[in-house]
Amino acid sequence: MKFSRSDFALMRWSLLSLCISLSISAAFLYGSGQYATQAQQDRRAAQSRLDDARRQLTTAQEDRQDMAIYAEKYQLLSQGGIFGDGQRLDWMEGLERLRQQHIVGSFRYNIAPQKTHVPVSPIDGGVFDIQYSEMTMEFDLLHEGQLLNFFAALREQVKGHYQLESCTLQRQATGPENAGGLKAACRGGWITLKNRNATP
Amino acid sequence: MKDALLLLLSASHLHAQIMAGGKIVAQREFEDTSAGPNDFAAFVKTVHYPAYLLVDLIEEDFRQESIPHLIGGSRNALLQRKFEQFYRGTPFRQASLLQRQKTGRRDDDMLFSALTNPALVTPWVNILLAHKIPLSGIYSVPQISAPLVKDHPSEYLLLISWEKSAGLRQTYFSEHRLQISRLTPINADLTFRDAVTRELPRTYQYLKSLSLLPAGQMLDVRLLGHGEDLIELRSTLPSNTDMRYDLVELDDLAGKLGIEHRFSDSDASQIFLHRLAIAPPQTHYANAEHVHYCTLWRLRRALHWIAGGLLAGSLAWGTADIWQSGWNADETRSMGSDAQRILNEVKQITNAFPNTQAPASEMKSAVSIMRNLDSQTVSPGDAMRPLGRALDRYPRIELDELGWKMEAAEPVANNAPTTVPAQVLTLKGRLLGFEGNYRAALGYLDRFQIELEKQGYSVTALDKPLDISPGGNISDREETQGEALTFALKISRRAAE
Repeated sequence: MKFSRSDFALMRWSLLSLCISLSISAAFLYGSGQYATQAQQDRRAAQSRLDDARRQLTTAQEDRQDMAIYAEKYQLLSQGGIFGDGQRLDWMEGLERLRQQHIVGSFRYNIAPQKTHVPVSPIDGGVFDIQYSEMTMEFDLLHEGQLLNFFAALREQVKGHYQLESCTLQRQATGPENAGGLKAACRGGWITLKNRNATP
Repeated sequence: MKDALLLLLSASHLHAQIMAGGKIVAQREFEDTSAGPNDFAAFVKTVHYPAYLLVDLIEEDFRQESIPHLIGGSRNALLQRKFEQFYRGTPFRQASLLQRQKTGRRDDDMLFSALTNPALVTPWVNILLAHKIPLSGIYSVPQISAPLVKDHPSEYLLLISWEKSAGLRQTYFSEHRLQISRLTPINADLTFRDAVTRELPRTYQYLKSLSLLPAGQMLDVRLLGHGEDLIELRSTLPSNTDMRYDLVELDDLAGKLGIEHRFSDSDASQIFLHRLAIAPPQTHYANAEHVHYCTLWRLRRALHWIAGGLLAGSLAWGTADIWQSGWNADETRSMGSDAQRILNEVKQITNAFPNTQAPASEMKSAVSIMRNLDSQTVSPGDAMRPLGRALDRYPRIELDELGWKMEAAEPVANNAPTTVPAQVLTLKGRLLGFEGNYRAALGYLDRFQIELEKQGYSVTALDKPLDISPGGNISDREETQGEALTFALKISRRAAE
């Protein structure tokens, strides 16, 4: 079929109506599509805000519960010098106080530089790094009960958390300069918790 | 039925009628005189519908021909050659497939036909083209007669109808396929009944002479007419065994075909015109030039439909989008108010918190860490005190050295959890007062071990005063009888978590 210029005159209104229809359709579809997209985005954002609010509520409720359960214990830990870089002066003073109580014949100690603690089984530290300051001790004892009493006193009277890991007791031979008894060597460490988010 | 301009052209007469909603809304007659075409031109000026031109002319020729079965351009070229060969002088020609042969080359049996006197048709067609009337096609009465005999079981059938302006039309079908058609003009002196009575035997003889009707074959004749004429015809039709009659009343036929027209005489023109408007045949005599404006009209209509469909579709789609968006907006508002209510609740809870040094999560974390560490911490007294009490009951054991340590990897007999480290004691000592009585000394040590095991310890002998195992080496101990009987034990226990 061949078209001539005169045919266009017959077709012009049809073509025009098609163009108008196309334009209206495109504009309407674009507008409704934009509106739909925006409405969908708003809905997703509202859903996200709602989910976030629910999470916040759950967290707040858990926090309220945790506060009731843990606040007192946390306070005790804080007073016990668990947090921070380590209260070495407290430890030294505490040990000197024990020395003056003569729970054991004599003792010597050495506190090594702090390092990261590797627990027996993994512990989720949360925001805390578990630090460990190794302390070795040597004792002159009359009997092994003194050693047990010493560590009981250490736990009760000295601020901090000392974790004992090993001890060796040896009978001392009786001689001219030695009245017998026991020698003990123990190894353990002071545990401290350091908050990673804490400002220095 | 769509709106249409129906035209019936006979040798000297053009009938025009405008159809709307299946009814005739206007009709005019135009004679082939000097005024006729002008009147027709004035008439079609107001017409905007597709036009269907039905011709009922003597000058219509039919020719059957077998041609090779071809397709595409080859077939078109062959048909054009045949047209040039048979009907060089007319543009109104067509070819329709009757059947494909079942044997041999399986050629196509074609029916070629043409309006052999174009001068009768061209002036009217030119007027339509000049006024850009969308001419759908040019059809002939025989061509659109086939549906009127489709229901007849006969394989050799003659259809007889009368068109007032043209004459008596006799169309012969073999196996329901158009074979040949004759038009006999009826003058004023000759009635429809007389014409049938006179022409029917002639046509019968004509068919036999052309061998279109096999010898001895009965010819079925279907006669279309008005009821009164048919009653009269029934008595005058030649009665013989060669022909069998089927008289069909035009009103009945119109009812069957869904045509709303009441017939006052035997003129069957309206049957053909209505059939044409309802179901025009695919093939016709008009060429592309003749139907140019109809093609444009169809294209315009298609564009309108596309435009309308597009608009309706996009409106529907967009409305669905907006409806869905409205639902989303409701949901958004609802979720927003829910979120605000929850946040208010959160605020109330947090405002009620005591002023503490650390957040609750940190408190929980710190306390949990220290609990875990405490569970991994054991006091040496837990293991040493029971050991001390056992040693009190075995005074002949002299302790030289005691080691204690926490050992996570230590295997233990009981099923205590491995998160709690085991306490491992290493005990080195001597057995006193046995003076060479090794049996008694070893028994004493064994009893000591058994007592420890009863208290939940795992006991392993690291060194014994005398190795009496089959793999051990034993030598004379006379010179060493005065020496102490030393031993070493490894004692371990894992406390419950």
